[in-house]
Amino acid sequence: MNTALEGWGLWIALAAATLGTYFCRAIGVLLAKKINQDSEIFRWLAAVTYAMVAALVVRMILMPLGLLSTVPIWVRILICILSIAVMVSKPTRRLVPALLTGTLLIVAYGVIR
Amino acid sequence: MPSADQPNIDPSEIALEGSAARCFKNRSEAFWAGIRDASGVPAMVLFAGMVGFGAMGKTNGVDIWFTTATSFLMFALPGQVVLLEMVITGSSILAIALAVTLTATRFITMTVTLFPQFHAKDRNHGLYASVHFLAMTAWAISMREFQTMEVKYRSSYFVGLGLLCWLVSIPATMLGFLLAGVVPPYITLGLVFINPLFFLLAFTEVGSWTNRIAIGLGFLLGPLFFILDRDTSLLTTGLVAGTIAYLIDRKILRKRAGVMG
Repeated sequence: MNTALEGWGLWIALAAATLGTYFCRAIGVLLAKKINQDSEIFRWLAAVTYAMVAALVVRMILMPLGLLSTVPIWVRILICILSIAVMVSKPTRRLVPALLTGTLLIVAYGVIR
Repeated sequence: MPSADQPNIDPSEIALEGSAARCFKNRSEAFWAGIRDASGVPAMVLFAGMVGFGAMGKTNGVDIWFTTATSFLMFALPGQVVLLEMVITGSSILAIALAVTLTATRFITMTVTLFPQFHAKDRNHGLYASVHFLAMTAWAISMREFQTMEVKYRSSYFVGLGLLCWLVSIPATMLGFLLAGVVPPYITLGLVFINPLFFLLAFTEVGSWTNRIAIGLGFLLGPLFFILDRDTSLLTTGLVAGTIAYLIDRKILRKRAGVMG
């Protein structure tokens, strides 16, 4: 595995990530009294955040590192589509059945191949 | 979401016992109600997600202490995944800090929507500690359940709920890491896949059109920016897709709806 960050670098990265994450939570506490959640900057930040998480998820599914990359891309996409179909099959959403569907299907693929 | 005067309209509410007004005798009872509410499906989903993350740490070659420390210190799965991905692809510390902080910006909005619902007496410096328990799971449940209880018990309920969610994530991460090493590869495959699948499914519950467009554009632009420059691709995708989605909403959707004048 191409681990470019090792030793102290790894823990400094974690410290930076921890501070950044807590910073956002603390800012939230600070602003909770004053700030309107409907303000424009929050709408924009929320959109940027969702787009980032979406980019991360699509990367993890289409261009994964490690074990998942050994599964053909069309199998991964097909399983995702089936899981989403289970999820939206009810207006109140079926998270647990959908998670089970996807997980069991990919395990089944791993067993068969 | 059912209103207070129609308590049993949604079947999923019945399972969570007590969609009608909840009466607590004292703060301790509210705290334990939070623990109890967390210990069902929410803890299961969180547990699975963190097991998947632990397995991801193992398969990507970082050690168990680092993997578990991210759950303990950050307790924000998307941020942890960003950190792990960027660490193993060798991004700079600055790029990692920026990217992780940007994924955590959702905590600002989550806190701003949740904490004003606490009693004025509870809105003190103690919130700087309990805010660490705030993550997607506890937030979603609190937003729903707070309406059913007295204002003065909400803080205790939230601490119980969030604390269990946080505590569950730590052994789950360790378990995921250890399992990935000893179970057959097809089980590890399932564990690693739970994570992206969980977020993918969670996207179907996003309500606002701005954020839905942002997600759609993120799916399309993410791979493109990844090919151009993978280190900065999350940041650039987020900024470009998010800003386009925001502008589409501001310039087109809101005018069409006619609600913003």
